[in-house]
Amino acid sequence: MSAQDLVPASAGPLSPTGGGLSRTRFFLSNEFGLILLIAAFVAVFAFTTRGFLSPFNLFSLGRNSAVNIMIGLSMMTVIVTGGLNLAVGAIGVCAAMVCGWMIEVLALPWPLAVLGGLALGAALGFVNGWMVVRTGLHSFIITLATMSIFFGAMIFLTRAESFRAMPEVFSAFGKMKLATYLSPLLLVTLACALLLAWLYRFTVTGREMLAAGANPAAAELSGINVNRAVILCHVLSGVLAGLAALMLVTRNGAAIPSMAGQLGQDWLLPAFLGPVLGGTLLKGGKVSVLGTVLGAFLVTMLTSGLLMLQVGAFWVQTFLGLMLLVAVLLDKARRSYLARRNLA
Amino acid sequence: MTATPIFRAEGIQKAFPGVLALKGVDISLHPGSIHALLGENGAGKSTLIKVITGVHAPTAGKMYLDGAETGFASPRDAIAKGIGVVHQERNLFPRFSVAENIFLEQLADSWVRPVDYARLNREARPWLESLELDIDPATPVSELSVARMQLVEIAKALSLKSRVLLLDEPTASLTSSETDRLFTILRRLRDDGTSLVFVSHKLEEVQEICDRVTVLRDGENACDSRPMQGVDRNDLVQMMIGRAESGGAWRHRDTEAQPEVLGLTGVATALGHRDIDLTVRKGEIVGLYGLIGVGRTELAKCIMGQFAVTGGELRVDGSAVRIGSVAEAIHRHGIGYISEDRKGEGLILQHTVLENAGVPIWRKLARAFGSLSDRRVEGVVTPFLRKLEVKTPSLAQTAGNLSGGNQQKISVAKWLAAGVSLLIVDEPSVGIDIKTKAYLHDLLRELADNGTAILLISSDMPEMIALADRIAVMDGYRIRGEVANTGVYRDISRRIMDLIHGESAARAG
Repeated sequence: MSAQDLVPASAGPLSPTGGGLSRTRFFLSNEFGLILLIAAFVAVFAFTTRGFLSPFNLFSLGRNSAVNIMIGLSMMTVIVTGGLNLAVGAIGVCAAMVCGWMIEVLALPWPLAVLGGLALGAALGFVNGWMVVRTGLHSFIITLATMSIFFGAMIFLTRAESFRAMPEVFSAFGKMKLATYLSPLLLVTLACALLLAWLYRFTVTGREMLAAGANPAAAELSGINVNRAVILCHVLSGVLAGLAALMLVTRNGAAIPSMAGQLGQDWLLPAFLGPVLGGTLLKGGKVSVLGTVLGAFLVTMLTSGLLMLQVGAFWVQTFLGLMLLVAVLLDKARRSYLARRNLA
Repeated sequence: MTATPIFRAEGIQKAFPGVLALKGVDISLHPGSIHALLGENGAGKSTLIKVITGVHAPTAGKMYLDGAETGFASPRDAIAKGIGVVHQERNLFPRFSVAENIFLEQLADSWVRPVDYARLNREARPWLESLELDIDPATPVSELSVARMQLVEIAKALSLKSRVLLLDEPTASLTSSETDRLFTILRRLRDDGTSLVFVSHKLEEVQEICDRVTVLRDGENACDSRPMQGVDRNDLVQMMIGRAESGGAWRHRDTEAQPEVLGLTGVATALGHRDIDLTVRKGEIVGLYGLIGVGRTELAKCIMGQFAVTGGELRVDGSAVRIGSVAEAIHRHGIGYISEDRKGEGLILQHTVLENAGVPIWRKLARAFGSLSDRRVEGVVTPFLRKLEVKTPSLAQTAGNLSGGNQQKISVAKWLAAGVSLLIVDEPSVGIDIKTKAYLHDLLRELADNGTAILLISSDMPEMIALADRIAVMDGYRIRGEVANTGVYRDISRRIMDLIHGESAARAG
């Protein structure tokens, strides 16, 4: 093409990503802060509680954080677009119930049922995304509505009854311990996180999602199909919510309508805590998969540690809420520091 | 210096962490004068304005008001002392009425007493009348044109009894007739004794209206409050950039025989264009002149496939096409569009330079499963960023942190990298300094010489006449006619204006 005939001038004031600065930047990053916090709290709990580092506790910690991280990732994929998905819990439970139904009622082999559950998650995510794009309304409104619709329909269809005759593989997988303390569920979650990191960093689709989230008008005029990108984000969110719910099924050994609370609301706090602690921008366009993983892990660990310290469960909730606030304030301070130093 | 200055700043320094933005700047503002404050982007104009209006406290230096030393604790303090400012960005509340905006700081005497709207509107009227603004004070600001919003801001500043009024690029989004009206008003304010500071990149305007000038370069005075008399354009440029203006003049280029790249015949669009005929040949720069809001940007967006073409024929490389989406225009037809709204539609400010420069070529560079590494994008994009001399510490720098000129260079580089055969350039030099503008002009000529077809949208007449081979004139969503450019400013500008004011031309002919 014509424009490429231009002869590039040789020297310029351009260098690829600065070397010395990037190390400073890492030490000032959210992720590094989270690693420090995790290390500090591990030390605190290891000294103040009995059995915090026991294989049993590590196992249950890993299993719980697997689910919480997955929930956080599910929310994160929509936050990327500058929106949010209040229906994560509802979609998750619906996916789990369909999986249980396909096994118990249709007597299908479990791998097919798992795929069926995830497909329903994707489909419900698609419904959310499609409506957001079509109506131009904020996803807050759309997903607030669909949360009730999905959950209500599920309760109606299942008559609020659980599917308990799950095959042995499920609970076996949930109980499986690698090297006496590691839950394979955590490995599944980490694999998903790696895939997502790869998606955002090294694929066109991921980059397009971020661009569409940061500035839809500019993305559109640069040739990105913004609507498709937004819908895709919601589909991804639905699949990840389904995965999180299926993990809960392996832990409980049953698909239970109330496993995410009324309307799936029990998932909302962990869903936001992970991404927000991890430094994902709520207005969209910036994402940190590692941050979400670390943030969700920190929250799970704190919950478990505080419960072991025999702090009442309600205090734990209060504490988590406080933590969300503190995290946001700290992040604000960090950002303005970086801006003043011209590092960000 | 004849009269005593109302305001005098001496040796103003302002340090930000890591940068010394002002290194000891002097300026004195006299009553009944329009004072030009010039300088390239990054020379320190905005910082100086912020110091004078109390947004920043200076690190060192003294300020005098009516000969007595003073300082401003806050913007409110500066306003109270009679220093008003009209910022470049609109600072009005769109949903509030004109009167509410004007008296925002003095809406009611106490916080429980209801606002007396009748009184508010009554009191707003004289300020509007003094600016010859014929609008109802109860009108919401969002219903006004950009030019009128600008005047409302001036009214607001005046209502605060400003004796010094700073105007930061007030004409950036005004048409030439609106600018003329603004100038009439500014001259009257000057004659009433107000001291005005006028910041602009348009030297023609500065020379027309200002009687004194201060030029900043790299945070220092290139000149301090000297009378405009005897200073010509070249002197100003010399002071601003430290050397004479580069940038070639118009030259004749032969493109008659080249094949057509874009052709429109009788095109109508969903946005209201009718009977649009337009061709752009290979290697040709076709100007699309018109005032703001006559449908130029809108036509560009229809060509790009964002809005539908509803009638007539649109040809790319000679064959009729329907372009269903922007992606199609870019990837299948090789058309690129540099938006006039750099921050809103051109760049993704919170993303890095590399990401911005690479967006249109991501799909093209992707490998299996759509995978794409930064290094691959870097390889394609870097030569173009280098060529355009984009000044950035690294490719990982956030685009929003760069100057306007550098941002514009990135939005050009991204289309060069995409290798488009037709580039639609919308108001390329809004908000960028002279050096970058001259550079940009050279670049557009070079691009055309290398065979890219360019459709140049501009309401900057000198720019149009310096660049275009042919100029199509648009008004009211129609093409009013076409002028072959000869590079002679007076001749061409008259013919263009004749086309816009069609009837007068008919009478004359």
